[in-house]
Order: sequence, then C-alpha cells, then structure tokens
Amino acid sequence: MNQETIIKINNLTKRFPVGEGEFTALKNINLEFFKGEFSGLVGPSGSGKTTLLNIIGSLDSPTEGEAIVLGKQISKLSHKESALLRNKHIGFIFQVYNLLPVYTVFENVEFALLLQNIPSEKRKKMVNDALEWVGLSSMANKKPDKLSGGEGQRVAIARAMVKNPEIIIADEPSANLDAANAHAILKTMKQMNKELGTTFIFSTHDEKVMGYLDRIIHLRDGMVEEDEIINVNHAP
Amino acid sequence: MKLAFQLAYKNLIGAGLRTWLNVGVLALSFIIIIFFRGFLEGWNHQAIRDNIEWELGAGHLVHNGYDPYDPFSILDGHGRLTQEQQVDLFPVLVRQASLYPEGRMLSVALKGIDGQQNLLELPTASFTSSNTKIPAIIGKNMATSIDIKEGDEILLRWRDKGGTFDAANVTIVKIFSTNVITVDKGQVWIPIQKLWEMTGLENHASYYVANENYTPSSLEGWNYKTKDDLLSDFYKLMEMEKISTSFMYLLLLAIALLAIFDTQVLSVFRRQKEIGTYIALGMTRSQVVGLFTVEGTMYSLFAMIVGCIFGLPLFWYLHTSGISFPDFYQDMGVSFPTRLFPSFGIQLILTTILLVVVSAAVVSYLPARKIAKMNPVLALKGKMQ
Repeated sequence: MNQETIIKINNLTKRFPVGEGEFTALKNINLEFFKGEFSGLVGPSGSGKTTLLNIIGSLDSPTEGEAIVLGKQISKLSHKESALLRNKHIGFIFQVYNLLPVYTVFENVEFALLLQNIPSEKRKKMVNDALEWVGLSSMANKKPDKLSGGEGQRVAIARAMVKNPEIIIADEPSANLDAANAHAILKTMKQMNKELGTTFIFSTHDEKVMGYLDRIIHLRDGMVEEDEIINVNHAP
Repeated sequence: MKLAFQLAYKNLIGAGLRTWLNVGVLALSFIIIIFFRGFLEGWNHQAIRDNIEWELGAGHLVHNGYDPYDPFSILDGHGRLTQEQQVDLFPVLVRQASLYPEGRMLSVALKGIDGQQNLLELPTASFTSSNTKIPAIIGKNMATSIDIKEGDEILLRWRDKGGTFDAANVTIVKIFSTNVITVDKGQVWIPIQKLWEMTGLENHASYYVANENYTPSSLEGWNYKTKDDLLSDFYKLMEMEKISTSFMYLLLLAIALLAIFDTQVLSVFRRQKEIGTYIALGMTRSQVVGLFTVEGTMYSLFAMIVGCIFGLPLFWYLHTSGISFPDFYQDMGVSFPTRLFPSFGIQLILTTILLVVVSAAVVSYLPARKIAKMNPVLALKGKMQ
C-alpha cells in the first residue's frame, strides 16, 4: 500500500545526564509512522516509551540521530517553531489528564484554539462539536475537580482533537481509569481515528489498550524489540 | 498579549482567596500611598495659597538691612521709596515692641500696615472703622496665648526714633483667624500711619508688599524677592516631608510587592505541571513567562479597582470635608491649617498607579524568568527543577 509517512525516526539515541554519568533511554531507534495509524509503544517502565513520545511531540529532542515529524526535523526547531508544531498539528493526552484546574471543561477544550487566534464564534462551534463527540456537552461549565476520571480523560481527548491535529500522542491514557471507562475512551479515540483519519500513537502497557491497536511497537531497554502489525490496512 | 490577559484573569479569579489577599494588601498600599501624597499635596497647595493671601502677595521688596529672621536687623533695616517707586506696592514697617498682658512682658513684632490695603487677607479695614487711639489687630493664636479678646486694651512699649522707650495702650479691634503662623504669633498689626507717628519714621518701610502688576526694577538699597523666593524654605520643608513619607510608603509598597513575589515564586514551583501543559498545548516558553508576569501585574490592576471602590469615596470625603488638626500643629513654625483639605489630583493618582503597576510587573517577571529555563518534560511530570 502506498501510505504517507508522517513521522520518520532515524538512528535516534537519547541520553540523559544522571549524576556524573549518563543514562541511555533510547538506543539507535529507526521507525516510521504512517498517516492514520492507530499504533502504540509498548514496554515495561524505563523502556523509553514516554521519551520517544516526548521527542515525537517536540517536547524533547534527540541526543543523536533525527526525528522528522510532518517534515520538520525536531532537533532543528526553535522553541517557537516547536510550539507552533504542537499547537497546530499535535494533540496530547496525558495519563493524569493535565486539565487546567481553574478553567471549565469548555475553557479547557477552547484553550488550544485561543492560541490559534480562531474567531470566537468559530471557536465556540468547534468546542461544542468536540464536546459532543466525547459526550460531554452537558458538562461544559463544570470545573475539572467535579469530573470523574473517565470524564476528565474525555475532556482531555476533546482538547486534543478540537484543533483537528494530524497526530495525537496519548501517554498511558487508561492508566488511571477503570475497565469500563478505559474501553469507553478507547472506543472514542478509535472512532476518531477512523472518521477523521487522525494518527494516534500510544504509550502503554495496558492490555485493554493493546487490544485496540493496529500496530504495536515493543520497546525494551531503549531499543525496538518487535514491530508487530495487527491490522494490515496500516502495514508499512 | 490579549490572550495573556484573558488567561491571567481566569487564573487569578480561579485562584480565589489567595488572589484576594494579595489584592487586598496591595489595594491598602495604594490607598495609603495616595492618601499621604494627597495629604502633602493638599498641605502644599493650601499653605502656599494662605501664605500668598495673608503675607506674601506677589512678592516683597525688602530693605537690604532688614532680615526677618534677625531681630537685630529690625532697628536699622528700613528705608523709604518715592511715590513713583511705590506703584503697585504698599509698605510694611516692622519695629520691636513689648506687650504687657496681665503684667507679663511679651516681646512682639509691631507691624505697621496701611488700613486701605486689600491685597492681603489681614482685616486691616478694622483700623478705619475704629476710632480708638491705637487700633490693633492680632491673630487668634496670639490672642489665645495672652488671653485677650476683641475690645480689650493692652499696654504696648516701643522705642521711638531717638531710641527712647515710649508706651501707650493699644485696643484690639479685631482678632483674625489664619493658618499662616508668621502673621499671627508674636505679631501686632497697627495702622502704618500711626506707627510712623509713634516712631518718627515717616514714610519708612522695612519691606513693601507687591501686587501682581508690580514690575521689579533695580532699586539701590532694596532687594525684590518673588513669592517663590519667599517660599523657598517652605518648599525645602515640603521636599524633606516628601522624602520622609516616601520611605514610609516605599516600605508599604515593598510589603505588598513581597506578597506578590512570594506568590509568584510559589506559583512557578507549584504549577509546574500546568506550565508543562501550557507548553504541550502549544504555548512558547516566553508566552508562559508573559502569562505569569501578566498574572502578577494583574494583582496591581485588581488592587487599583478595589482601591478605587474603597478609596474614591474616602478621598472625595476627605477632599471636600478636610481633616481637622489641633491648634498645636501650628507650633511647627510653618503654615499648617486647622483643617487640611488633601488634594488628589489626576497626576498624583496616575503616577502612583504607574509606580505600583510597574513595580508589580517587575517583581512578577523576576520569578517567572525561571520558566524559560524549564524542561517541559519534567514540568509535565511536576518534578522540581
């Protein structure tokens, strides 16, 4: 199949200073992600999943090698350029939701659009559409501390999808959820992937999440152990 | 910038009590600073106006030998001008004398002034409406200190032209109330024509008071001092007062700013996860620094609004009703009104607002700079950096 490469990782190594030495989190990673993939990085703690996601999300940069996201080489981006990349093209879903506590559900979802200077009326419509998508229209005026874990994560999904990004990075999105809520949010994300063609990259060691993935990349000790294609529609 | 204001506003309102405590302290500082500055401004304006109206006129043409601060200069510090030279001027002759209230001796400055003058507020018209031999007017402070009232007679002793002591009773025809202590305490005002007659110094004056039309010209033996020259000591005093009160309100401001600084430092540490989220959602680090700086600055804007709510009615009341002070404040030796009307001008309020807002912006920016060096990955995890 002729698929569009959206992320390309070449010989990527990431080292962190630890005391007087260094810790190598990722070793010589070579990967490609394609538009519309529903893929996941799977592995035990310390395997380098989150580090790789952070580099793809331009929150961090490689020590060696390169990560090219949407045609942009992450290590060469300025702070402003990487902020722009995140703002326009990448959505994040975090394990602990990271909702802004003083904002309402509506305002949390609206935040990314405010940064894009989208006019008020259009912004309102986009937020309402996103909330409707995740089934939280009735909770638009609630503050995050009034939401359950599942609802909080759905707000985070709405916040990530409202700007219609090419890539959504989800770091352990189901870790704090019970099984029912985990399945609910995964179904939402899967639906979004199918209907909007958004590329999802997960970091997880949750079996429930793995059940939904089209591609599972097994990481161990900072290296790709296995790149497992489950749904051939998204095969490289 | 608009976005930073929108977000900062939401963050501050969302922070609840912590915000309002900071705003309260800062608003109190605002009010106290403006009050003290208004108090000094009011005192300044009132004292200058009173001095001009009661003593200075547009200026004094002073005999070179006369120094109002040197009693020994009074004896010979006088002279006379021709009628042509006296245009837009009226004479005041100063002599040393003694009063004998209730048998005590009190040294006074005996001042002769024309009863026809209407430049100064001194009620000299009372001279002409009285048919007593030597009518005199004195200030309320003077009258109180020697326990005398209108209509009373009191023995006055003075030296005539030959240096010989002479004495007569003067009748107090008017007791006036003024804030200008230098025309009140230790001063006895009588008609200048009578003083010329008593001293034999016909047409002499220690100084002439000028009106606004007077054009100074070089006159030998005389020195013209404008009202600003004559008020220079008062101006110096006001400067000193401003400096000393500045210390006080800078201290107040420092306490309020310390509260903001403290909140900002805490915010940068406690809200690391939030900072990381802002960055992950697409804000640049400098935008986040800007947001935190605007947040801190906004305390001062909120304080301004809260300060207006409480301060404006208070300032309006003080400006219209004034603040009363006991008479002993006049013992300071400068014009100090028994009722002072603080003056809260637009310039005063705007400069105070500017001072507080700029200071708040600076103390907000200093801790926020740390954000620019934060690792967003660690920030997202809420790890201390």
